Amino acid sequence: MNTAPEDDAKEEKRPIFKDPSFQHTIKTSSKKKTWRSLKQIIAQERSLPWPEDAVHYSSISAPPSFKPAKKYSDISGLPAKYTDPQSKLFYACADEFATVRSLPSDITAGYLTLRGANNPIG
Amino acid sequence: MEILQFKDNKTVPDVIHLYSNSIKTCSVPLVIDNGSYNCRVGWATSDSPQLSFKNVIAKPRKERGKKDGETQVGNNITNIEAVRFQLKTQFDRNVVTHYEVQEQILNYVFTHLGIDTEGSVNHPIIMTEAFLNPNYCRMLMSELLFECYGVPGVMFGVDSLLSYHKDCNKDPLRTGLVVCCGYHTTHVIPVINGRADAHHARRMDIGGSHMISYLHKLLQLKYPAHFAAITLSRAEELLHQHCNIVEDYSSELNSWSDGDFYDRNVLCIQLPYSAGSSGSLGLTPEQQRERRRELARRLTEINARKREEKLAEDEEQLNQLLAIQDLQEEGEETEFQNALKDFGLGSGDELPKIIGQIQVRIEKTRQKIVAANTTEDPMSEEPKQKIIKQFQTPKDEEDFKSWIADVRKKREELLEKRLSRRQRRQEMAKRRTPASVERMRLINQLARNEKRDDDFGMRDEDWDVYKAINKGGDSDSEGEAEKLMELEQVLRAHDPGFSANGEANSGAEEAGEAHRLHVGVERIRAPEVLFQPSLIGSHQAGLADTIDYVLKSYDADTASILASDIYLTGGTSRIPGLKERLTREITALRPFRSHLSIRLSSSPSINAWLAARDLARDSRILEQCLVTKQEYHEKGGEYIKDHSISNPYFPSPLPLSVMETMPNNSISNQEDIEIDIV
Repeated sequence: MNTAPEDDAKEEKRPIFKDPSFQHTIKTSSKKKTWRSLKQIIAQERSLPWPEDAVHYSSISAPPSFKPAKKYSDISGLPAKYTDPQSKLFYACADEFATVRSLPSDITAGYLTLRGANNPIG
Repeated sequence: MEILQFKDNKTVPDVIHLYSNSIKTCSVPLVIDNGSYNCRVGWATSDSPQLSFKNVIAKPRKERGKKDGETQVGNNITNIEAVRFQLKTQFDRNVVTHYEVQEQILNYVFTHLGIDTEGSVNHPIIMTEAFLNPNYCRMLMSELLFECYGVPGVMFGVDSLLSYHKDCNKDPLRTGLVVCCGYHTTHVIPVINGRADAHHARRMDIGGSHMISYLHKLLQLKYPAHFAAITLSRAEELLHQHCNIVEDYSSELNSWSDGDFYDRNVLCIQLPYSAGSSGSLGLTPEQQRERRRELARRLTEINARKREEKLAEDEEQLNQLLAIQDLQEEGEETEFQNALKDFGLGSGDELPKIIGQIQVRIEKTRQKIVAANTTEDPMSEEPKQKIIKQFQTPKDEEDFKSWIADVRKKREELLEKRLSRRQRRQEMAKRRTPASVERMRLINQLARNEKRDDDFGMRDEDWDVYKAINKGGDSDSEGEAEKLMELEQVLRAHDPGFSANGEANSGAEEAGEAHRLHVGVERIRAPEVLFQPSLIGSHQAGLADTIDYVLKSYDADTASILASDIYLTGGTSRIPGLKERLTREITALRPFRSHLSIRLSSSPSINAWLAARDLARDSRILEQCLVTKQEYHEKGGEYIKDHSISNPYFPSPLPLSVMETMPNNSISNQEDIEIDIV
């Protein structure tokens, strides 16, 4: 009952230059199917038996960094010599340490997440 | 110091262009630079793209009972922040994966170009795609273009290669290293004799979007109070206008750590604010009292109404019961019994009792109403008077001095108490501090005590133990805060030397100060992500290292030819300082005295579109490279014709339709393996 007028509305909006019978092949088989994410697509791509000389998306990822990551103070961005053992934040000087200690836990967690260092396990 | 303001530029909705007859009849090719940041579209005959918009749509969420809102596309979204959570993009990283969104975008594009032919778009399409775009994605895009829009032919090109091609037009067999800094990714693609060498190319998953979100979050964490005012669009504006890449990051940081340098170079940005809107804090005592009185009045009104309603109800019931009593007196026994049953009463004996009860209740309610009308709201004035009495200013000079000192001391004591309480609370929150050890000891003791003869609670002091073990600590009580405020008010009025530190300022100028962002190191910290992805927790190598990695994968001769023409393109390469920084870093990495030349694209953002347009004007190239509808049907959607600016074509070893039907768990297995390796 409800679908009929809805379809009409869609039909009306449909621009004139489109093929009215077009449907994405993915959507035709079953309604529930969604678009694959890039991760799924490249995983699929990699699983195919490619010839030797073929290159595909996942084979050109940049190499991992060979240098140790430099430490920068989380709050000021300056080079950091120290790590607060409690919050695990990096800090550059004594003044900053006081600031670090006064930060509420959500801000601390925010800084750690930003740097990708927030491990939920501990 | 100069104070800047955000411009918060609004986009202008696109007009619907005229679909001229000459374009219509000659089926002029249409050039679409489908970038993950901006989409640029124009006819091959024009000088610049007709349309240029952010490649996103805003789809209102479906709500039950409401009509679906209109989907907004590109420049029709005038205020992007208002629909931030409804934004959708067809991109996953730099690859188009969501083809329904892409369909909406293309609808928008063709509609705004004024195309009105029925059932098809009768123009060949030249479109950009990601470097090494998966065949699966190209297939879906071809399907959309050929089957939905019925285009006669499609040609796919890679934006960075197009751009390079344009900027060395004189020599189509040139060798060089293309570095394309995009919105989601950065590519380093060696081009040997005019052809991209995909085997040695590398892609970093860092781009302009990462810088923007990094800057956005940094500022939000620095100014939690302005969390909502610091929007992604503003971070983007900051990145575009005020950020730069520095030649030597660590020495630049050293100069920033100097206070004078900071003061000279910090960027001060005024957030919009309205002076009077700081909530109840900004109210004068007079206004607060007024508000309280208003509240009390409303409460009494509600109470009075309730009482009257109750009175009416009771009276109604009483009348009914009296009527029943009358029935009994008149001897109508059956009707009397029926009526009793209706009221849920067992026998006639209860009737007088209930009548009595209701009468008492009515009487009480009446008395209350009378009482409420006579007493004027009793709670309003009393506490204030007490305070005024307490702080009556002594007239005598000597007395005054000692009185002021006394008030000041009281304030100090309160502050100290509060401070120590906060300290204790903080201590409690952590393990193994003396405070929390003491707390555990007390809890232990309590638990032990309860088992033996239990006289706990006999003395009032016993109960204090709960205060001691309460983890939250006693919170700053409201009464105390009020007292503190009173004291400060008195001091402000009578003591010229008084200024409460850390107290909210009242003047308009100070309110502005509170709404100001100071952006210092962040200006160089955000773009630094490109060179040190570890800043945002990525394990990939930085741009300079990746370039070096690519160069080292060649023999020394080829590497030095590549290094002598490093070409920067892509929107993100417009950040000032990129070229200088790369020159410095790569010189350090290359062999001593080897030749190095880095150049920036003549127009990094739009060059790919211009190059594609030039190709589209060349009928010979079109003939060679365009995939026609017939070829699409013969060879499938993934098919492209290899040419100098396209992706290399590797036909899929299995038909892609098989991929569709492959069980999903094989994919998830793949992902598991990937996770293990990482």
